[in-house]
Amino acid sequence: MSDGDIRDNQNVTDEGTIGAPGSDQPTQDQGQSPASYKDKRSDEADHVEELEQDLDLDTHDVDWSREAYYAEDLERHPAVRVLSASLPGAIVDIIRFRDETTIHVQPELFREVCRTLRDDENVAFDFLTDLTAVDMLRLRTSPRFDVVAQLYSLRNRMRVRIKAGVDDGQSVPSLVPLWNGANWMEREAYDMFGINFDGHPNLKRILLPDDWDEGHPLRKDYPVRGWKEFPVYNTERTVPRLRTRWTGRGV
Amino acid sequence: MASTTGRPANDDIRDIEQSPYGKPGTVIDETTPPIGTLTIEGERTLDTGEREMTLNMGPQHPSTHGVMRVLLKLDGEIISEADPVIGYLHRGTEKLGEIKRYAQITPWTDRTDYVAAPSNNLGYVLAVEKLCGIEAPERAQYWRVIMAELTRIASHLVWLGTHALDIGALSMSLYCFREREIILDIFESFCGARLTTNMMEIGGFSRPIPDGLAGQVRNFIRVFPGRQAEYDALLTANPIWMARTKGVGIISPEAAISYSLTGAMLRASGINYDVRKAQPYLVYDRLDFEVPLGEHGDTYDRYLVRMEEMRQSVRIIGQALNYVEHMDTPLANFESPYVIPPHKGTMTTAEDMQRHFVWTIKGFNPPVGEVWQTIEHSKGELGYYLVSDGGPMPYRFRIRTPDFVNLQALPHMAQGALLADVVALIGTIDIVLGSVDR
Amino acid sequence: MGLIDDRFDKNVFVTSMDFLFNWGRRQSLWWLQFGLACCAIEMIAASMSRWDIPERWGMLFRASPRQADLMIVSGTVTKKMAPIVRTLYDQMPEPKWVVSMGSCANVGGPYDTYAVVQGVDQLIPVDVYVPGCPPTPEALYYGILQLQDKIIRYGTMARKRGVDAAEEQRRADRSEAMAGVRG
Repeated sequence: MSDGDIRDNQNVTDEGTIGAPGSDQPTQDQGQSPASYKDKRSDEADHVEELEQDLDLDTHDVDWSREAYYAEDLERHPAVRVLSASLPGAIVDIIRFRDETTIHVQPELFREVCRTLRDDENVAFDFLTDLTAVDMLRLRTSPRFDVVAQLYSLRNRMRVRIKAGVDDGQSVPSLVPLWNGANWMEREAYDMFGINFDGHPNLKRILLPDDWDEGHPLRKDYPVRGWKEFPVYNTERTVPRLRTRWTGRGV
Repeated sequence: MASTTGRPANDDIRDIEQSPYGKPGTVIDETTPPIGTLTIEGERTLDTGEREMTLNMGPQHPSTHGVMRVLLKLDGEIISEADPVIGYLHRGTEKLGEIKRYAQITPWTDRTDYVAAPSNNLGYVLAVEKLCGIEAPERAQYWRVIMAELTRIASHLVWLGTHALDIGALSMSLYCFREREIILDIFESFCGARLTTNMMEIGGFSRPIPDGLAGQVRNFIRVFPGRQAEYDALLTANPIWMARTKGVGIISPEAAISYSLTGAMLRASGINYDVRKAQPYLVYDRLDFEVPLGEHGDTYDRYLVRMEEMRQSVRIIGQALNYVEHMDTPLANFESPYVIPPHKGTMTTAEDMQRHFVWTIKGFNPPVGEVWQTIEHSKGELGYYLVSDGGPMPYRFRIRTPDFVNLQALPHMAQGALLADVVALIGTIDIVLGSVDR
Repeated sequence: MGLIDDRFDKNVFVTSMDFLFNWGRRQSLWWLQFGLACCAIEMIAASMSRWDIPERWGMLFRASPRQADLMIVSGTVTKKMAPIVRTLYDQMPEPKWVVSMGSCANVGGPYDTYAVVQGVDQLIPVDVYVPGCPPTPEALYYGILQLQDKIIRYGTMARKRGVDAAEEQRRADRSEAMAGVRG
């Protein structure tokens, strides 16, 4: 169990984690993967490299199921290999937690990264499972939001998570040209967070009313109960809501 | 207050207002555009040969399965555009997840897909267990499988009942709900509630399995195949049913993958993706069942796929019961700090009561990290994305519901369809608005 | 009650007609099929094989508010849905009754969030509140029985003291319910 106040932007780690979501590796070093994960190579890394040579990435018989890449060395993940080969400057950070790999990429290359992963014959991440966002306001200062895409490969039965960090006001390329299913997912991310997606055909609110003027609810600085009260019909009277000891923070 | 008059803030209302036929005192002569043609002050004029009407299938409608609005642009009977408007049941579950402790969130997951509540619970609980790095013991996993499959049958019964009701087979709803009542009785014996069950707990189950439960479940799987044969006899070879569902709402496999469809929508188009087989969770890799696939991707195929899924669920339940009926191993790893103490211990011993108090009031702190966990829900792939910052409450709680994503296919399917097919299409996607809007 | 009020003097024949109308009103309530969320599933279950509530009491599901005299608000009322709930209530002809089913419709339920109206009684006057999350069909059954009792009382009062007194009492009942808990 971890202790320490996350809100002070400390890099809290725990056993089994190599980095925290929103680890404060600066996103300013363009084109260079940070050294964080390299430092954690185990002594068996050399042995793993020998094994790597035996593995032929280009055959279709290789079973890239969850267990196959569970090793200390993150670079062994097939998606990382594909991206390092074709878009070398895109990767900002790689995190492994439990058996999942998260690849932080540059926001401008978000669509290109996903397109590369989708079109590659070996990894073939042809299914977009989810596209959402996380407001990292309490974990790091910049960039504020993380746009998260969960990709799945139907053929290889493998998942990967692609994250792009954007600031408030910065926009990220839309994935709608790649997958039609990203349409409503991006609309929801826009509705809840206010993130603009470049190239989305119809970016307007989806879950809240069209004329909702009170902001974007899932941001961390938005109270759970909202800003405005709902008046009793035809009156100006509002019914006050209880606030007790157990109401919770941010309400 | 936002639109007190009840008129939606939408351009199409403006079109109707400006129709000259609606305004008294207008002179109708040969320069007036014909009925059905819409003009917006020179912005867009349709040719006199085309007639397009906007029909609002409003939020209150018997067959929209809840509060959804579909804006239909019709050319006679044929739909040229269908635009679903959702959000009438958006309640802020994801925001609530950020101020509630991990164990407190389970009731809210019930209420997203309320016809299949235990499945939602299961997905969430598996996500938390993955985050904490614990696993439920085998006996609990088998019972979870049994409850999940019963939920799948219950959800498909609601689907079948309402789908058939919308298409016109009114008696089907009575039969399906009759079977569903048996399942809800099982849920009530197990956890006390019929609909919003809150039955899955982190780590297993804290209360013992009630005594007659295995017998009740066996009773159900003995009775159900015969009843399902009745539904089959009523609908499958029925010419009216086939005429209304065959060829309606065809989705090609490429379109299905592009729209990120999951569940029966995807499998009816021929793509074999079932999370229980692709990335098995619980004990599905030890159980023997098949995943039905369709050929044409139309409504009839989706009906057949879901009927077959019900039969396979009965098969799974039978196998799981054989394994678990005589097990008496513990139902949860009560030593773990992430798991609630056993109920009996909480009521009798002081240590368990103190632990229960701390676990409930203060919560537990899982490790820092993020997880993504999917399960095969009756409607498709239900995913939970939890980001943890080490505190007792999630930092981000995201539910990827299958209906929200599947509903995107409605405009694609409805284009060129007849007006009467819209209800069949909404029914075949199998939406539950609580799940779409969260 | 208003139908034959001024036509005849108040004699035994008329009071029996009043009673008959009232009996008709409560024993054949046509309810508006207005299910919003989870409570709607319990409402549907209440109208299906096991409980069969509407069929047993001469009730009927009507899709159009113009033909309904009972609106059972079952489920969460969101701010997006609020104008529509009000419009539907306005479209129902008098006399009309409202049953608020479930804790979301009563007080907003477990959803104390930005998008949820905390109780449908902020929009429309409610006659009977049925608590539960969701209320079992038996609870809904009991709620409708209470509503029928209320209709009897209303009818009796109208017969004995006149329609205006009955309307006043009914308005007082509703605003008491609305204001009582939260002040």
